[in-house]
Amino acid sequence: MAVASVSHGGFAAPVHEEADQLYLETRELRVQGFLLFMVSDLVLFSSFIFAYLYLRSSGQGWPPPGGPKLDLALAALNSGVLFGSGATMHFALENWKHRNFMKFAGWMVTTIVLGILFLSGQIVEYVKIGVGWGTSGIFGAGFFTLTGMHGFHVFAGVIYLTVLLLQATAGKYTFAKYTGLTLGTLYWHFVDVIWVVLFSIFYLL
Amino acid sequence: MAVAAVHSGGIADHIHPEPRGFVRKYLFSLDHKIIGIQYLITCAIFMMLAGLLAEMIRVQLMKANGGIMTPDTFNAVFTMHGSTMVWFVIIPLLTGAFGNIVMPVQIGARDVAFPWLNMIAFWIFPIAGLMLYASFLMGAPAAGWTEYPPMSLQGQAGTSMWCAAVFLIGIGSTMTGINFLVTILKMRAPGMTFTRMPLFVWGQFVTAPLLMIATTALGAALAALFIQRQFGVAFFDPTKGGSPLLWQHMFWFYSHPAVYIMILPAFGILSEVLPTFSRKPIFGYKMIAFSSCAIAILGFMVWAHHMFTSGMAPQLQIPFMVLTMTIAIPTGVKIFSWTTTLWGGVLRFNTAMLFAVGFLVLFTLGGITGVFLAAVPFDLHAHGTYFIVAHFHYVIAGGSLMGALAGLFFWFPKITGRLLDERMGKWSFWLYMIGMNGTFLPMHWLGMWGMPRRVAVYDPQFQTWNQIESVFSFVMTASILLVFVNVIYSMKFGKPSGPNPWNARTLEWQISSPMPYYNFKHVPSVFAAPYDFAEPLPYRGLEEELTDSPPPVPAGHH
Amino acid sequence: MDATLAHIERVLAFVVGIIVFFVAAIALKNDWDSKGIENQVFKGMLALLALGAILAILASVNALAGKGVEL
Repeated sequence: MAVASVSHGGFAAPVHEEADQLYLETRELRVQGFLLFMVSDLVLFSSFIFAYLYLRSSGQGWPPPGGPKLDLALAALNSGVLFGSGATMHFALENWKHRNFMKFAGWMVTTIVLGILFLSGQIVEYVKIGVGWGTSGIFGAGFFTLTGMHGFHVFAGVIYLTVLLLQATAGKYTFAKYTGLTLGTLYWHFVDVIWVVLFSIFYLL
Repeated sequence: MAVAAVHSGGIADHIHPEPRGFVRKYLFSLDHKIIGIQYLITCAIFMMLAGLLAEMIRVQLMKANGGIMTPDTFNAVFTMHGSTMVWFVIIPLLTGAFGNIVMPVQIGARDVAFPWLNMIAFWIFPIAGLMLYASFLMGAPAAGWTEYPPMSLQGQAGTSMWCAAVFLIGIGSTMTGINFLVTILKMRAPGMTFTRMPLFVWGQFVTAPLLMIATTALGAALAALFIQRQFGVAFFDPTKGGSPLLWQHMFWFYSHPAVYIMILPAFGILSEVLPTFSRKPIFGYKMIAFSSCAIAILGFMVWAHHMFTSGMAPQLQIPFMVLTMTIAIPTGVKIFSWTTTLWGGVLRFNTAMLFAVGFLVLFTLGGITGVFLAAVPFDLHAHGTYFIVAHFHYVIAGGSLMGALAGLFFWFPKITGRLLDERMGKWSFWLYMIGMNGTFLPMHWLGMWGMPRRVAVYDPQFQTWNQIESVFSFVMTASILLVFVNVIYSMKFGKPSGPNPWNARTLEWQISSPMPYYNFKHVPSVFAAPYDFAEPLPYRGLEEELTDSPPPVPAGHH
Repeated sequence: MDATLAHIERVLAFVVGIIVFFVAAIALKNDWDSKGIENQVFKGMLALLALGAILAILASVNALAGKGVEL
């Protein structure tokens, strides 16, 4: 098993030959476990999506009487921002794989900033909409619950990515062993994919 | 067929040093065997609480009108009885307790894939239980363990606490499901292909995705109910545009797979106990394994059979009826295979075997009434009556719980190095059979005669049978108490069992009792399924396990 | 003023959508032959990201708009 060189930006991480087999097997377990966690998270979103579609098809019309209309332009831009952050996250991981710490860090920061921009856009939208979660009938039940859950996942992701960046800077990952970064990228893409579905069912349906 | 490479430096060679000190060894243990015992003890405590609530129900029902409590209190009592039994006794017992103690050893692993997650999942359990019982202090939930709106939207602040408590334990369940699934997929000993796995492991393997997927769906429903109650969000309240039927769909989409979570591991236990005490290979190994998969998958497709009278779209009734009846087929395959396993075997009727055979009879009875209930015309008459109560108690108390008791008597020597007392065990079994059947058999005809469930007072024509049931329920309680006494007594005074008192063939019986913290000195390799009693053991590398040779050396550093 | 803001939003959404689509599609093409469950999941998510970008583009020009939406 080839042991990769481990210095980046002046930080060196220790490498143990015999740890490689252990690392590989542990990595397998962590990746599988994380994928399964994402499946269960998908079930969580699917349940609420079912609830929204069920309520929406109850004959009250959408939006329900007196309910607000959504701003497509703002949402399209916000979606672009979030999808863009998926692209920048991809670049970040690619640069790590190509052993370029500075570019990795740059793209990570960009991703985090775009994530925060997305959250700000959501807040702007919520304020524009103006109605309450519990006072807007099935609109609140569907829209605010789902986009709120998603926003919480984005918020958690922003924190998660920040922690990963700090860990990477502190030398926790090597260019050969960076499972945490891979998992973070998976999570961030997952959050993007959920938004593809939510964007479709709230703004395009 | 994924065979994990376990030579030079992999996880199987990565042995942690023995934990020292009470806290690391017993309180916050990462060892799956200790965690499993912690689950066992916690389940026992909740079982006593739920049993107490059950006896309160039975005492109330001895009189047709005016028992020992108000109807409102009675509602809270049966709600908490059901909630405790399902989520805080049966599910953690069969997955967290038996799954943790036995499964990793049966696959030749040193622990589960994520020991920290395992520990956290366990500690969530007593905390969630405390939360649940705290709801008694604020007005306990009182709409049944199914908490249908609109009733669950009203009064009883404890209902919100119930949502939070069950949501929390659901998180623990999901963690356990992920943990077990990855463990079984990735950490089997070399040579242990899926068709060489013990059937108990198959049981845990098909249950794990249910734990993961179904429980999360329940979490969504509970979260929705919580935010409806606390923030007025219009999910289930029809005055705000919501739908009570939505709750039923969301709740039952989980709760039907939940009943398979409650039975599939018990099926697995049966598949270990029956061949061991028949000295015969299990009949139809592959059919049992695949039928478990079929049950797990089909279990997601039948939830609306709980909703035939709910007012849902009538055209859904027939499809759900047909799908529900279909589940009887793989289940029947198992019953047939187990019965054929016994046929022509040299049967040894110790307590574990008695409970296993009892399971076979009583679960079949419960399953048959399930097929009756699958038929829409019958269910329209039986829904909401004691017939339902009879059905599910037969499959849970006659199925799941008896399977768990068989497992307890079977694996107690492996856990403690001592046998449970056989005399007490046999008394427990017969008292249980008499008590359980006496309590729940009459419920079938009470239901047919029209006695509704969840009522504190009822028509006096039903009183005699209710009194009979209550008397028998005390017999059943006595049998369970006797099991507890047996456990406590045998831990100290039980006959030493040695490593393999049953001459069983799965891997856990090839190491010493109690099991050492490292499980195996050397991870064995496997070259056949363990059930062929005519052949020598299908393992290589176990020579040193029962000798005095030193334990394996811990890794120098992590 | 509002109409101009919406106009800017749409233009940006359109441009970003196009960029993201090509990034995702090229990444997908480059990784097409990779094996293992983890890489299959990555590929699936890149494909969905590309789809998302297309939806953002279509939304930005009002080619796709839902019932509850103000254009």
